[in-house]
Amino acid sequence: MSGNEAMAEAAVLAGLDAYFGYPITPQNEVTAYMSQRMAEEGRVFIQCESELAAINMVFGASATGKRAMTSSSSPGISLMQEGISYMAGAQLPAVVVNVMRGGPGLGNIAPSQSDYFQATKGGGHGDYRNIALGPATLQELVDCMPLAFDLADQYRMTVMLLIDGLTGQMMEPVILEKKSGRKLPPKDWALTGAENRGQRIVRSLLLGNGALENLNYQLQKKYRHIEKNEVICEQYKVDDADIILVAYGIAARISRAAVDMARENGIKAGLIRPVTLWPFPSEVINKAAENFRIFLTFELSCGQMVEDVRLAVAAKSPVLFYGRPAGGIPTVEDVFEQIRQLTFKEKVEK
Amino acid sequence: MNKEIFDMGRIDIAWCPGCGNYAILKTLKQALAELEILPANLVVVSGIGQAAKAPHYFKTNVFNGLHGRALGPAVAIKAANPSLVVIAESGDGDMYGEGGNHFLHTIRRNPDITNIVHNNMVYGLTKGQASPTSPIGFKTPVQVNGVFLEPFNPLAVAIALDASFVARAFAGDIEQTKEIIKKAITHKGYALVDIFQPCVTYNKLNTNQWFKDNTYYLDDSHDPHNRIEAFKKAIETYKLPLGIFYVNEDKKTFEENVGELTKSNKPLFEYELDMKKLSDSIERFKSVSK
Repeated sequence: MSGNEAMAEAAVLAGLDAYFGYPITPQNEVTAYMSQRMAEEGRVFIQCESELAAINMVFGASATGKRAMTSSSSPGISLMQEGISYMAGAQLPAVVVNVMRGGPGLGNIAPSQSDYFQATKGGGHGDYRNIALGPATLQELVDCMPLAFDLADQYRMTVMLLIDGLTGQMMEPVILEKKSGRKLPPKDWALTGAENRGQRIVRSLLLGNGALENLNYQLQKKYRHIEKNEVICEQYKVDDADIILVAYGIAARISRAAVDMARENGIKAGLIRPVTLWPFPSEVINKAAENFRIFLTFELSCGQMVEDVRLAVAAKSPVLFYGRPAGGIPTVEDVFEQIRQLTFKEKVEK
Repeated sequence: MNKEIFDMGRIDIAWCPGCGNYAILKTLKQALAELEILPANLVVVSGIGQAAKAPHYFKTNVFNGLHGRALGPAVAIKAANPSLVVIAESGDGDMYGEGGNHFLHTIRRNPDITNIVHNNMVYGLTKGQASPTSPIGFKTPVQVNGVFLEPFNPLAVAIALDASFVARAFAGDIEQTKEIIKKAITHKGYALVDIFQPCVTYNKLNTNQWFKDNTYYLDDSHDPHNRIEAFKKAIETYKLPLGIFYVNEDKKTFEENVGELTKSNKPLFEYELDMKKLSDSIERFKSVSK
């Protein structure tokens, strides 16, 4: 199974009721897999006429209280932003997978991480957030799927999974388990037929005096709660490190190997790997920055997450960036070389 | 004029050997050459898909925009510079699926552009999913039990909207297709040419032979000014007609309907700056802001 297919199966096992998609490379395997599996399970699969249709079908299915998702790649996700903003306003759960490719525009189909801003800072209009997960291995990817649906239902919001074309095509053994440790609230907002109860309305239009302001305060309260309680992050050889790499997804896999290589060469390197990109592990990073160390953020982009690292470090330590845009993938040796040069410079300066 | 004026020389082409796109590209270049349209006076606009790559292989002015959104830029290019020949060229998925809404409203707007749609009834770029024109029962790795949606009928839709020129061609017949394209380009107003083409890799049903066996040309008895008859021909399914279904020369174009600027066929950039008008406007704004 490729990453795309494993992820699709994990979604089916997580109780996905309805999948809506539109073909785009490099995630066509998800659509192909879903078309067969959802039919086998007697659930809903629709190949839509466009990404706009797909996200609005997710919106509709979610409104009925069912678990709905879509998957696409960068340009398609851009098209969906309007729907995602409306779902944030209407407080509906949804899972959206972005198998990122190079941009801007149509770009190319090579692996990329340049949609970090879009996923973590909103993407569409309005004061809202999405939970964004950036798994680094296929096992973590399939584990993130039930988590994504649970988080979406618990907080009534969109959860985005960010992977890249390489992870989507990669093959690794995975264990698929149905995991749902969370106690989820009843969906007392779902449109289930109004017999014996009053009206329920799904909307993001709030024109009444102060109504929209109240909604926004309510959303912000929810977001602060999530920032406090839902951060997931891995720390690897951080305690005694002089240089800390910060990376997620495919870049974190390369970074981890580069950290090991550095250690073999007598350089004390470590890695902080955010799994939740929003909420961002700011506290972990801030704490790590207390003792002066060099932070090196590595991304397959021109530098997006690095801004959150800088905010988290809060000028306590230097934060540097290394990355390549548009499908260029540095090797472990390339990243190690960056670490080596920084260490060398630091020694000279001392 | 020789069609080679539009050729790029030796370049990598992304299409499969035997793809109908080659024939359409060649035929379009031939038609333009015979009409003596110079590359400098032509803009080819496309969206996303295998067909939408066609302009990449065209030595002229090329605009390759968003998926499904070739028609918007094409309308705007024509409005900004009515002296240009504007062709919007893409596939069935791009024009009728993702861009379906723009297709409808561009017909209503009636700009003087030519809309060429490579119709192979399948998504080629994303490797073989059903497209809006895939026939019922068509099986793909995604439509595992076959397509059950009613295929989109672009000709019937266009005639229903009183599009000013509606035709269908077959990529395998270069001579006839070329003549149809020439008429579409010289027609004043929006002209749709839906071109059947085989996809040798992902559509094993609608093959070159299938198109030969299942199409026929409209003959002289068909009156393209009779909208009802044109519609009847457009909804025929036993054998699919080819040729010019419908023409309405009496419609004003978009460019004729909007302001003075576009009526004269003079590009916007050639207009002289009217200093008096400009300073009057500035004075007016100044007085408002006081």
